[in-house]
Amino acid sequence: MKDVYIFAIESSCDETSCSIVKNGTEEIATVVLSQIDIHKDFGGVVPEIASRHHVKNITMVIEECLTKANMTMEEMDAIAVTYGPGLIGSLLVGVEAAKTLAYLYQKPLIPVHHISGHIYANNLKEELKFPLIALVVSGGHTELIYMKDHYCFEKIGGTLDDAVGECYDKVARIIGVPYPGGPTIDKWASFGEDTYSLPLPLNDDSYNFSFSGLKSAVINLVHNEKQRNQPIRKKDLATSFQNTVVKIISKKTMKALKDYQVNHLIIAGGVAANQGIRNTLTTLCEQENITCSVPDIKYCTDNATMIAASGYYAYRLERTANLDLNPKSSIILK
Amino acid sequence: MTILYIDTTTNYLYSAISMNNQITGEIKAKLDKDLSVFTLPKIKEMLEEGHVDPKDVDKILVVNGPGSFTGIRIGVTIAKTYAWSLKKKISTVSSLMAMALSTKKEKIYKVPFIDARRGYGYAAIYDEENRPVLKDQYMSIEALKCAIEHLPGEYTIITNTPIEGLENNCEKYDPNFAKIVEFCKDNVESNPHAVNPNYLKLTEAEEKQKEELI
Repeated sequence: MKDVYIFAIESSCDETSCSIVKNGTEEIATVVLSQIDIHKDFGGVVPEIASRHHVKNITMVIEECLTKANMTMEEMDAIAVTYGPGLIGSLLVGVEAAKTLAYLYQKPLIPVHHISGHIYANNLKEELKFPLIALVVSGGHTELIYMKDHYCFEKIGGTLDDAVGECYDKVARIIGVPYPGGPTIDKWASFGEDTYSLPLPLNDDSYNFSFSGLKSAVINLVHNEKQRNQPIRKKDLATSFQNTVVKIISKKTMKALKDYQVNHLIIAGGVAANQGIRNTLTTLCEQENITCSVPDIKYCTDNATMIAASGYYAYRLERTANLDLNPKSSIILK
Repeated sequence: MTILYIDTTTNYLYSAISMNNQITGEIKAKLDKDLSVFTLPKIKEMLEEGHVDPKDVDKILVVNGPGSFTGIRIGVTIAKTYAWSLKKKISTVSSLMAMALSTKKEKIYKVPFIDARRGYGYAAIYDEENRPVLKDQYMSIEALKCAIEHLPGEYTIITNTPIEGLENNCEKYDPNFAKIVEFCKDNVESNPHAVNPNYLKLTEAEEKQKEELI
């Protein structure tokens, strides 16, 4: 069969990224231009600033990716683009650029759901085996998805309020860790001791999550300790917090695997880089004889490689869009 | 010389093809929230109707602001991606300049105005020869009124949102593509990578940060 090359653009948040992937599995070239240093000054991503940087950088990132791959746009089979969910102004730049490329080079335009990209990041390591359960954990998402086959997404549970990554960043802020604090909490967690008592949030039989209560519990705890003039043992608090999160996530994930009689788990999204979540679930899966796939760290954060990988399967299924494709800040994965 | 003109800085899509100084295709469409949906399909349709292959366009003239932040980015992203892809020339023009050039009135001061709400807007004043008297800027309507009062001659305000109290001096913006393209055809050309929106305004977050520094 002829090789298929997908050119992808991802601009849903604060990374402008382009990538070329062959046959949905082999990364040819990727460029990621992160704005993290710019947004650090503001304590989080400022949507308008992010959009402004995307439009400034978009053609440079496209060019660099092709140069890196030593390929031309003519050699691509399709143009894939993240069309949501994400920051609307940011998405818009990627979508307009992709539409223009698809039009000028007469290539099929493939709209890719950002979360589907995160799931297919695992495909770059080893092809997905079905059926599977995908645990999607990031700054904007906490979801359990059941997949019978390529592009059959069935959401079986998700967060009712804050996403897990959001909760990490907020807790980090409460204990005085600069943005983005999630990775720091993860690092500290391995040095501290689990000495603070925090409630296990939404500890029920559903596959849903809730993290706003846990966040409030941390706020109250810090507040109370301050009132009693007790210093916060930051590393211990990080450990207690992380253990609580890992415990509830792994409990519900393992339950889903068991209930759906599935032997493949994939972890996806930015928080898949979290060592606590990675290690715990890998160990639990080993015990149950379940294969657990986690993407390489570089594919955990937002990147166009995963969009190209996902785009390949959408291309095979002829899931294309017209030039009137419009980005959306929230869309259901289907 | 075939020039493709693109302006998405308001809730309208204004686009035209100029072939050897003749306008051979044009779009004036109020798209509002659908600007991101239909801008590219409509440009494609216009080119097709005029039997112009995208490769046959020699130069892109894109309006890069001021105006709606999101709107500006739609046109600028399409234009710079287009110019970069097919190695075409590209230059920019200010939305206010395009407005000033479009009035039918002659020998008069031209005051293009784009409303930015809360008593502010983007405005400029150009003289009879289209030279800027007051350069493009984000300003309060009060300040603009004051500047207008001191003009030594007749003036016309070109706008889609008439200024309260000055309605009689306002005319609706109806782009004169021939005049805009003719006036701007020799505007300095840029590397497509360097083509950027000219917002004339910092983001709120940056403004707040600046205030804190002061």
